[in-house]
Amino acid sequence: MDFELMIESWPKLFAAIPVTLSLAASSISIGFIVAIGVSLLRLSKNRLLSNVAYFFVYLFRSTPLLVQIFLIYYGSGQFKDFFESIGLWVFFREAWFCAILSLTLNTGAYTSEIIRGGIQSVPFGQIEAAKAVGMSKGLLFRRITFPIAIRQALPAYGNEIILMVKSTSLASTITILDITGIAQKIISATWSPVEIFIIAGAIYLTINFLITRIVQWLEIWLSPQLFRDRKSWWKSLRENGQQAAEVQQEFR
Amino acid sequence: MTEVIPALVAEDIHKSFGTLEVLKGVSLTANDGDVISMVGSSGSGKSTFLRCINFLETPDKGRIVVGGEEIRIKTDRSGRLIGAEPKQIDRLRTRLGMVFQSFNLWSHMTIVQNIMEGPVHVLNRPKDDVRNEAMALLEKVGIAEKKDAYPSELSGGQQQRVAIARALCMRPKVLLFDEPTSALDPELVGEVLKVIGELAQEGRTMIVVTHEMGFAREVSSQAIFLHEGRIEEQASPEELFGNPKSERCRQFLASSL
Repeated sequence: MDFELMIESWPKLFAAIPVTLSLAASSISIGFIVAIGVSLLRLSKNRLLSNVAYFFVYLFRSTPLLVQIFLIYYGSGQFKDFFESIGLWVFFREAWFCAILSLTLNTGAYTSEIIRGGIQSVPFGQIEAAKAVGMSKGLLFRRITFPIAIRQALPAYGNEIILMVKSTSLASTITILDITGIAQKIISATWSPVEIFIIAGAIYLTINFLITRIVQWLEIWLSPQLFRDRKSWWKSLRENGQQAAEVQQEFR
Repeated sequence: MTEVIPALVAEDIHKSFGTLEVLKGVSLTANDGDVISMVGSSGSGKSTFLRCINFLETPDKGRIVVGGEEIRIKTDRSGRLIGAEPKQIDRLRTRLGMVFQSFNLWSHMTIVQNIMEGPVHVLNRPKDDVRNEAMALLEKVGIAEKKDAYPSELSGGQQQRVAIARALCMRPKVLLFDEPTSALDPELVGEVLKVIGELAQEGRTMIVVTHEMGFAREVSSQAIFLHEGRIEEQASPEELFGNPKSERCRQFLASSL
């Protein structure tokens, strides 16, 4: 192990953290909005809309993200004239744009299914109660359905966020210098993959550790009663134990 | 002489689920201060009727008039009736407070948030006023100390009392109770019936679908016995529970004692 190289390369990899984070943050946040739209289309009573949404989800879930990235980045190059004619080439010529587009569409597809599951798990009675106080469709979704759905979906969505942070590393294949991109650049110059990837891996590990914490904190903040219950359950167990001990004492 | 406008009129309500005709023309008029109890065996259509009143189920035929305003309905492409204007239905629903068998409190909100939700976000009343009213209502139903708890932390009886407070905070013209004690453990039924009984004494207009015969007899001003989607007997509670005319009603009361 070349520890000197590790110490030397550490700041360079560290400096790439913002790239990875902004790839993840932009694709996750835009993808979330896409996902809400797609999940609503998917749940729509209109068969055509629902099928279109299903096809989108099917397409992006069933092909590798790497293939999607390549198709969008290299594929758009092949249709340069077309994209120029509709004025979109300024976007598609940028690797950054192509990376975010593919990551966004990918997470949009996965997240839409997570949200759909959340929406479908909302108890019907609570929706009826909202109708009964005169809520309009939009208000009902905003105030009741969506907040309950997101609470149900949060653990699964936390998973998706972590997967996305790791998936940003694929952007390095289309010239983006994120953590993995920088790592590969250093490796090609030094030929010490183990040392460099250990550091890169440790950085991903730390980022995702923080994300797990944040998601957990969010879960507690959104549904404090679930965690209060657990605490009181332990407390009651202890108290029952004490009572049992006291009863035993009395009988002795 | 001014004509008295009934709080609620339901006229000739029909409703089928598939080939099963649940309601075969049920009518009812509630004047201000009336407490109408509806009894009948399960499947007699009493809950469905109640749900038709605020359009949680759309009746196949008939009309609903709330405080003189008729709910406009139209026929959709498949020939079924639907509300002509969702906005009108939403508005009329704010005047019909509904209490469900299974409480249906919103699980992601605290008790006081549950009560404030409708008045603040549907009626757009000022938050502080609503909070005061909500607290007063919680006081009234006897669970003010639970205001910051979540529904899952309450017993069934407490949840149902919150649901009643939630309905009251909308200041409805008519309260609809859909078997409010059927999902409760026997020892919790009393506390909920006590609250409903107090509301009846205050002179609120209520329609109560219930299996609690003693309670219905005590609080209501009018009793209705439904059988297979029709009103079999309609009388004063003393009459209906004490000396029922129809044989079916007699059988039902005998079996439910």
